[in-house]
Amino acid sequence: MTHRSLYIAWALLVALSFGSTALSASGIWAQWPIVAGVAVMALAWQKARIILADYMGLQRAPRWRRGFDVCLTGLCLLMLALYAAPLVL
Amino acid sequence: MTDKDALDALPGELLMWILIVSEVLVFGAGLIVFLSVRITDPEGFAEAQDMLDRTAAGINTIVLITSGFLAALANALRQGGARTKARFCLVAAALLGVVFLWIKGAEFASKAASGIVWDTHVFFNFYFMLTGFHAAHVAAGVVLLVLVAWRDHVDNIEDATAFWHMVDLIWVLLFPVIYLLQ
Repeated sequence: MTHRSLYIAWALLVALSFGSTALSASGIWAQWPIVAGVAVMALAWQKARIILADYMGLQRAPRWRRGFDVCLTGLCLLMLALYAAPLVL
Repeated sequence: MTDKDALDALPGELLMWILIVSEVLVFGAGLIVFLSVRITDPEGFAEAQDMLDRTAAGINTIVLITSGFLAALANALRQGGARTKARFCLVAAALLGVVFLWIKGAEFASKAASGIVWDTHVFFNFYFMLTGFHAAHVAAGVVLLVLVAWRDHVDNIEDATAFWHMVDLIWVLLFPVIYLLQ
């Protein structure tokens, strides 16, 4: 893991976190709550992938990284479906 | 690739990864139950969620991912033989952990001052349980980071920083579900 890739990972994580917080303060939730929910969960999913790959070193273990990606994607999709359920039912 | 090769490819100790996966599963289950209960009372959950301080939680996210960055940097520095710089990064990461706990403590104190407690609404049941349990992990992580800054064997630092990244990972999943999904 090079220092440069860690700096890039940190900058990306900060940018994605600002994106999440900005979304929470926007008026999008009143008009398109499902779109906002998908955006917020997609940002969280990407942040978690960066932490696993760059901070925890799974970038050096691509097979393990794919496995963790699949589980993480499943968890995020399930949480998104549960969030959207009261909006669509 | 044999099973042994596959396990060798995993960075750090296998036991630490088992702990990480277990913890993520426990918090993931907690978040799934939270969202399932929310289906029964979405308005009540939204009203309760509006009482949270999203800005403070957003700041805490930046604090924690910056702390994670310093921990990852410490690991890389120690593996490159830069012991003093690695120790400095570990102590700085631990201090940011303390900042996270201080902001979290202020958030809990403000809720208590407003009369919001565990059983005010079922939302707060989950809020205090999940964020409180996470804060306990942050506190344990701070102690670990300080310990490995002192006893700075490469393996010790690798394991402690992996634990710290797990705390980080859990927060980036917990933050949007508890604070942001409206």
